[in-house]
Amino acid sequence: MLVDLYSKKIFNMSYQFAGSYQEAEDLTQDIFVKLQHSLSKYDFGKNFTAWFLTLAKNHLIDEYRRTKWEKKQRDDFDEHVRTEASADDPEHGLAEEENRALLWSGLNDLPNDMRMAVILKEIQGKTYEETAEILGLPVGTVKSRINRGRLQLAKILRDRKESAHDL
Amino acid sequence: MICDRIEELLAAFSDGELRPEERAEVERHLRDCPSCAALLESLRTADAALARFPEIEPPASLREALYAVPARRKFRFGLDVLLRPALQPVLAAGLFLLTLFTFYMFSPAKAEINKAVSRQFHLGYSRIEKLYAKAGSITDSLGGFADDVLVSLKKVNPLSKSDE
Repeated sequence: MLVDLYSKKIFNMSYQFAGSYQEAEDLTQDIFVKLQHSLSKYDFGKNFTAWFLTLAKNHLIDEYRRTKWEKKQRDDFDEHVRTEASADDPEHGLAEEENRALLWSGLNDLPNDMRMAVILKEIQGKTYEETAEILGLPVGTVKSRINRGRLQLAKILRDRKESAHDL
Repeated sequence: MICDRIEELLAAFSDGELRPEERAEVERHLRDCPSCAALLESLRTADAALARFPEIEPPASLREALYAVPARRKFRFGLDVLLRPALQPVLAAGLFLLTLFTFYMFSPAKAEINKAVSRQFHLGYSRIEKLYAKAGSITDSLGGFADDVLVSLKKVNPLSKSDE
């Protein structure tokens, strides 16, 4: 059943992209409705997961562009994203949580296409080739897009660290 | 300025994907530039933190809604049919006719258009009548011709005489 296989994947992708739990629910439903409408167009020679994730990616970016004005804010880095701090090293765990919170809000500063590429490769753990297939772009373009995204996020952490040192 | 160039290479450097000469250039720069060195450290921290973002479970209510998606699709089938791409030319033609009709309804020359249309209609009708009359006369003459042919065939063919 497609819902069992893909609902978690699509929900996480929507949540990481949109940054809103409520919105991720709506987006996931929209994507599955779209899937039902588009299944007849699926070419059985192609990788279904990549095809479905491409459909999801297109919907997320289209929807974001269409209603950009209301998507300036991401949810707080709340209990949905937070993990338990390491029991062995609570201080390190807290620092990591702080970093993740910064990166979570920093994702919103990335352009749509770059954010999607970073989510697929860095958060969801896809390879460059898989990410390129989903995005429908050459691997080289995807690599450079992801690297620029990583660098932008790294600058957020570096600036935060430098300002903490200055205090 | 050199920091900008090194920044561009940092991600590939961190992934070990640079050519040896580029790698040596980045390593040299990092020894002398605390800012770029700090950026590399942040890049590695960011990569590690992103990779450990947890995958969250979708709410049960969402799963239930997703299982109901095919049923909802059937309910919306009527609207889907109307929005099919194959129907777009029909919808476009309909829109064009509607535009013409609106133009006609609100045109100041509506009476003249009516008169012209009526004239054309009557002309067309009388042409059709003439054609019909001509077709009738042709049918009559063809019928007469067929009778003549039958008579002459009977005269020529002795078998037909014996039939009689």
